[in-house]
Amino acid sequence: MLKLFVRLFFLGLLLLHTSCMKWEYGLEEEFDTSASGEGLFICNEGNFQYGNATLSYYDPATKQVQNEIFYRANAMKLGDVCQSMIIRDGVGWVVVNNSHVVFAIDINTFKEVGRITNLTSPRYIHFISDEKAYITQIWDNRIFIVNPKRYEITGYIEVPDMTMESGSTEQMVQYGKYLYVNCWSYQNRILKIDTETDQVVDELVVGIQPTSLVMDCNNKLWTVTDGGYEGSPYGHEAPSLYRIDAETFTIEKQFKFEFGDAPSEVQLNGTKDKLYWINEDIWEMDVTADRVPVRPFLPYDNTIYYGLTVCPRTGDVYIADAIDYVQQGMVYRYSSSGELIDEFYVGVIPGAFCWK
Amino acid sequence: MKKYLLLLPLAIFFTSFANGQGKVNNIPPAVVYGERTMKEIGVQQTKLDSLQLKENIALSMADVLTFNSSIFVKNYGRATLSTVAFRGTSPSHTQVSWNGMKINNPMLGMTDFSMIPSYFIDDASLLHGTSSVNETGGGLGGAVKLSSRPAQNEGFGLQYVQGVGSFKTFDEFLRLTWGDEHWQTSTRAVYSSSPNEFEYRNHDKKVNVYDEDMNIIDQYCPIEKNKSGSFKDLHLLQEVYYNTGRGDRFGLNGWYINSNRELPMLTVDHGEDTDFENRQREHTFRGVISWDHLDDGWKMGAKGGYIYTWMAYDYKRDVGNGNMAHMTQSRSEINTIYGQADGEYYIDKEWLFTASLSAHQHFVESRDKNIIRQDGNKAVVGYKQARIELSGSVSAKWRPSDRFGVSAVIREELCGTEWTPVIPALFLDGVISKKGNIIAKTSVSRNYRFPTLNDLYFLPGGNPDLKKESGWTYDAGISFSVGREGVYTLSGSANWFDSYVKDWIIWLPTPKGFFSPDNIKDVHAYGIELQGDLSVALAPEWSLKMDGNFSWTPSINVGEPRTPADQSVGKQLPYVPELSSTVTGTISWRSWSFLYKWCYYSERYTMSSNDVTLTGKLPPYFMSNITLEKVLSFKWADISLKGIVNNLFDEEYLSVLSRPMPGINFEIFVGITPKF
Repeated sequence: MLKLFVRLFFLGLLLLHTSCMKWEYGLEEEFDTSASGEGLFICNEGNFQYGNATLSYYDPATKQVQNEIFYRANAMKLGDVCQSMIIRDGVGWVVVNNSHVVFAIDINTFKEVGRITNLTSPRYIHFISDEKAYITQIWDNRIFIVNPKRYEITGYIEVPDMTMESGSTEQMVQYGKYLYVNCWSYQNRILKIDTETDQVVDELVVGIQPTSLVMDCNNKLWTVTDGGYEGSPYGHEAPSLYRIDAETFTIEKQFKFEFGDAPSEVQLNGTKDKLYWINEDIWEMDVTADRVPVRPFLPYDNTIYYGLTVCPRTGDVYIADAIDYVQQGMVYRYSSSGELIDEFYVGVIPGAFCWK
Repeated sequence: MKKYLLLLPLAIFFTSFANGQGKVNNIPPAVVYGERTMKEIGVQQTKLDSLQLKENIALSMADVLTFNSSIFVKNYGRATLSTVAFRGTSPSHTQVSWNGMKINNPMLGMTDFSMIPSYFIDDASLLHGTSSVNETGGGLGGAVKLSSRPAQNEGFGLQYVQGVGSFKTFDEFLRLTWGDEHWQTSTRAVYSSSPNEFEYRNHDKKVNVYDEDMNIIDQYCPIEKNKSGSFKDLHLLQEVYYNTGRGDRFGLNGWYINSNRELPMLTVDHGEDTDFENRQREHTFRGVISWDHLDDGWKMGAKGGYIYTWMAYDYKRDVGNGNMAHMTQSRSEINTIYGQADGEYYIDKEWLFTASLSAHQHFVESRDKNIIRQDGNKAVVGYKQARIELSGSVSAKWRPSDRFGVSAVIREELCGTEWTPVIPALFLDGVISKKGNIIAKTSVSRNYRFPTLNDLYFLPGGNPDLKKESGWTYDAGISFSVGREGVYTLSGSANWFDSYVKDWIIWLPTPKGFFSPDNIKDVHAYGIELQGDLSVALAPEWSLKMDGNFSWTPSINVGEPRTPADQSVGKQLPYVPELSSTVTGTISWRSWSFLYKWCYYSERYTMSSNDVTLTGKLPPYFMSNITLEKVLSFKWADISLKGIVNNLFDEEYLSVLSRPMPGINFEIFVGITPKF
């Protein structure tokens, strides 16, 4: 009996060995979207610290969506928190915040062509020239200067009156040789940077925490503040939408929201004469308007809108719903007159868009 | 096929039993069968024996629970945060006590079990579901009771163990004891350290090879080291017990923790570990003094305690020339004062009445971020709060005959200024057959859990309007225990449970860029838990001991859709495995013993919609560890030699997305116990 027990014991051990987990690693998939013309990239942030950010691609003509295109094309993960993307000369630059990296991808095959690493906590990238770009950061008081051709960090722009811990530089808009940057987290400023000297030459105080920045057809900058939050030692106020003249760098108009509102995601249409933003509902306003419309473009419909973009060619409005932030989000596509055209699931927390 | 394979250990287990009827002796004294105390009427609990707790000095309670219980241990990596959850609930639904004092972090609600060395725990029991109401409120999933007790040694005792393991891991353990008829003292120290740079193939990223024009000419998945994962943990435990011999017992327990751990980089991190420092430090002291008086038919006791915790989280960045600048500099301090009084009163052998009142007064200060205000002055983002938590209960337990028992518990809790409604719990058990000690148990309870201090006050995002979570739990089960003196013992149980949790608190991002908690979900968790233990003397000087657990725990979101596109309703909660199983087996011959540990977790979803994507996949995994031990007995000392192989089959596995886990690794321990 003893032998039987001992045999059974070790037999069990051997059998358990056969049941080990087997990983299935991805194979590189071939894509070619060069023929499709217009296309929309969707940056899905994923959950912070879980490394499940993804990139989706939508063809507005065929209404087909491809999810996880970065993983499928490259057989590796995109990373942790996909923050933003821009396209320059057929190359998409995908900023992955908590992976400390900016990937460069071919916008037709989605294959990686290079990457910029060793960033602190990148948020947005803006090209000054083929060989010079700026990358803004959070938790760093420096804007990184990079050479995109060599994928190298070449220098830094130190932001005055900002510590590493409360550092926050965000979206960038260029007017002539000057670049404007909104400073968001525990900040209240728009910076003006001379792109020839890489120096901050001026700054403009707006309200608490300006979240986004665009420039319209009249060279007016638009930013919207979120007003901070209750209990914040930095302050809590009613948010505002600001119109700033890029030439004089002065505030021309302030549109005040209700205290407690949370406006975000200021966007422009293709002709840059209409402004859109999220404030629970989706709002649309002419850039020459004197007051905020009374009725929204799309009313709140039990949907938590998280991202927004407007097709530069058709004026279709795309809105991202992150749902509960731990499942694949939904993107709704509306015509410029507010008719629902399409809806499609993308990745976890769709937050930013980029038009091909 | 894999689903069937997990039944194999159970098959072997029962085959072993069927053949275990021979004439043998040397039964390990692990299973006590046929014993039903009044206090445990209807209670579903898992008791961990000393063999499980003391098997390896390097183990934390997270490791012990992984291989010896049905509860889910969510492990963020080696020597990093490990939380446990019963029956598909969240870690903050598990109440944890040490020597009677609650040690859940009042800011976070959960307990990090990787910070509890198993060698400091002499008794551990898991109270499943309703059974936790006997001890405390708030355990919507259950409760874990941890305690230490006198060594019961006469004179001096000393034990020293040193361990050396893979990845330059060093473990030291020292225990000094002294005792006489009245006094027992014990001093224990554990120190563990490692750079923890285990190698693994990183399938989540690739390294680029460029030509001179910066075109990618090759890519490969690198073999990487676990970066930024070092740890140094020191634990000291001092105990003094005094027994008057006239029914009074006094105890003093003091436990100090000094932990310094880096937080490992994610597998998808493209930063250089030398450019960043990501570190968590903790100093914690927990102290409990206790008095118990035993008399004919009654017992009373009182406890007092204090917890101090200082935690620091630093995230730094090299800004040039090795100058590390803070990106985040978070500090928190917790002071908790604890008091408890208990009484028990027996009337004959039929009735037992108990009453208990405990109080935990928390003082918390959280300093999360340093900022510069609009006026240019410095400020700190954080909060400072105090909260009292009272919990009182009375119970009546009645056992009119050997075959039947009923227990009713009424509990009420105060948190801050808010009272719970009365928390009732009812337990029944009955002997179906004395032959085989077949006992049926059933219980039902209401329960509530208050939001944590971070849930209410954390800046930004704390939500002072949160409601408390509430739940109903129903349990029913059957157990048996059989044995023959000196030959074998066999026990097992099967338990069904069904629980509903309302107003489940979840932190979600807000449009303002930070997270905020809300009462989002209603959850229906149900399932089956199976347990089995076998000890058998195979032959003279041969013995075998096997334990097994199996759980099936659907944990389903039954709330309303959050938005029209919500696909999570009716789906399993993320990161809760539906199936899990553990088996351990020890075969001993004379002073040799061989231990085999095995555990299994089914696939965990990472999305509430239960979609399985290429990026969000956590495949099922099996884990096997073995230990071979030899004890050499000399006149002057016992020497123990132990070799351990962890992750025996070198599995590539993940417990949490993007967190690297070590492959096969080894440890050697040498222990000496002098004979004074």
